[in-house]
Amino acid sequence: MIYHLRWMWQWILGEVFSRPGRLIAMLFFLTLFILPVFTTTPSTLRFLILAAIYAIFAASWDLLAVTGQVSLGQALFFGSAGYTAALINIHFGFPIWVTVPLGGLSAVFIGLIAGMPALRLRGFYLALVTLAFPVIFTGIIFIFPEFFGGEMGLIGIDRISKNRVIVYYTVVLVMMVSGFIMWKLSDASSKIIRTGIIFHAIREDEIAARLAGINTIRYKLLAYAISAFFAGIAGGLYIHFMRIAGPSSLTVFFSFQVLLWAIFGGKGTIYGAIAGVYILFPMTEYIMIYEWGENFRHIIMSLILIFTLLFMPEGISVWILDKLGIICRRCKVVNFANRKNCRACRAPLHLENQK
Amino acid sequence: MYLAINDLTVLYDRAMVLNGVSLNVAEGELVSLVGPNGAGKSTLLRAAAGLVSWEKETLKGTTSGKITLTGSVIFEGNEMLDLPAHKIAQRGLILCPERGRPFREMTVMENLEAGAYLLKKDGKAAINEALDKVFSLFPVLKNRRNQVSGTLSGGERTMLSIARSLMSKAKLLLIDEPSVGLAPMVKKELFARISEVHGLGITILLIEQDISFAFELASRNYVLSRGKIIAEGKSEELLNDEIIRETYLGM
Repeated sequence: MIYHLRWMWQWILGEVFSRPGRLIAMLFFLTLFILPVFTTTPSTLRFLILAAIYAIFAASWDLLAVTGQVSLGQALFFGSAGYTAALINIHFGFPIWVTVPLGGLSAVFIGLIAGMPALRLRGFYLALVTLAFPVIFTGIIFIFPEFFGGEMGLIGIDRISKNRVIVYYTVVLVMMVSGFIMWKLSDASSKIIRTGIIFHAIREDEIAARLAGINTIRYKLLAYAISAFFAGIAGGLYIHFMRIAGPSSLTVFFSFQVLLWAIFGGKGTIYGAIAGVYILFPMTEYIMIYEWGENFRHIIMSLILIFTLLFMPEGISVWILDKLGIICRRCKVVNFANRKNCRACRAPLHLENQK
Repeated sequence: MYLAINDLTVLYDRAMVLNGVSLNVAEGELVSLVGPNGAGKSTLLRAAAGLVSWEKETLKGTTSGKITLTGSVIFEGNEMLDLPAHKIAQRGLILCPERGRPFREMTVMENLEAGAYLLKKDGKAAINEALDKVFSLFPVLKNRRNQVSGTLSGGERTMLSIARSLMSKAKLLLIDEPSVGLAPMVKKELFARISEVHGLGITILLIEQDISFAFELASRNYVLSRGKIIAEGKSEELLNDEIIRETYLGM
């Protein structure tokens, strides 16, 4: 028993405390878990829950970005899954753990249809086409107002739980699990799951990927499906939390919001998107407290985006990790930047300082 | 015949890039294809690897051009022109594109792993075995396996590209101008490696501008000019032919 504890402690020391990225991630999740002990005011919990939902959403956008496909209509998956979950919940009364995954699956279906243009279009043209899809879906909603609730949206959706703290833990857990899955699926250095390396290869050079025998069409559609599924999960959680499914979750601005979060945090890294939401979303909410906040919000956000792109083009999470950690030139192990020698091979880390 | 290209014609709009090219490669051979710039050498390889038909697909419905592709490419008795590019690669007909085209932001190791996509089903042991083989052929890649491939030198990039093709069970390698932009010493090293790859039993069709190297290596050569094969033969025969030497080889 003690032996195992010691072994675990050693493992944590070696694998977590010695790597800045993992340490930050662990501290972040521990904070999220402990937070309700200190504060359970409805307003704090409300924006923490929304932040977790948006974090799933931003990460799902990021997963598409890993394959080099920029989606300007990610709100389509969020909104359509929300509507599906709401309709199933209202008409059939299924509980949340059925409606949310079903919403995700419906988003996959819609995502596969939306992914069809991606088979022939690339880059800018693909982005423009994706922009059109949420607009089409909004149109459908207004054509059948009795069914979709029209401008007002669908109401009378079940709560996730009566207890806000339980709601909080549910959403945070789902966020952690889906974030972890998406990160693993897109991680090129993963030894077990190979989709990461394939996604990266497709982004870098689709022709070369094809020449290596990779069916790029299949993997691009797969990326669409996964991204849509997790965006759909976020959408389902959102409608169960807000208890209304309205056309506001399909707006163009909402699609751009997710772009802003993910690019601010670090495009193509998944954890960057989550970090971006957790940094930017509280800021927006904080600004909104002031009277002038509503008007200045967009200006401030745009300025933040411009400065991010100028000074940290790879996003804030990558920038911070780069400042905190240093990769050993010899053995490629990540070390804290304050170390003099690599913890694995003892090679000096700061060559430029040694004269 | 192992690879038989029959009457291959490619038109970009009305510009005829390939005009009824026929050539064949026997199993285990190293054949070179030489010719001046713009002769259609790269297009020939791209057509065989399925890239031209893919390009044709993407241009469909646009005004930016029209590609006509006729003829046949038969590899191991099967028609390749109808197949998509990744299916052709799965059969073992693999193109090393010009300038290597490694995945620039990925490390050498990740590049090789991406290349090993087709070995996925055979399990880890097969991948490791292929890695060992590739690293023993190209020891320089082993030293640089954690380096981002965009920072490799030109010669290393070409080697990486060839190594990546070898990772995916290549039977016939189409190598497109491996020596472009390389210093003579690096060229020499690279051609020694290519001949080692050939020694492993892999058939090679090589495009090359540097005729002295290509002719030394290849058992047979084709000379392509303006989309047509104008001469075929062993290296000495071609070099002895005064007209071909002066007009097409510039020697």
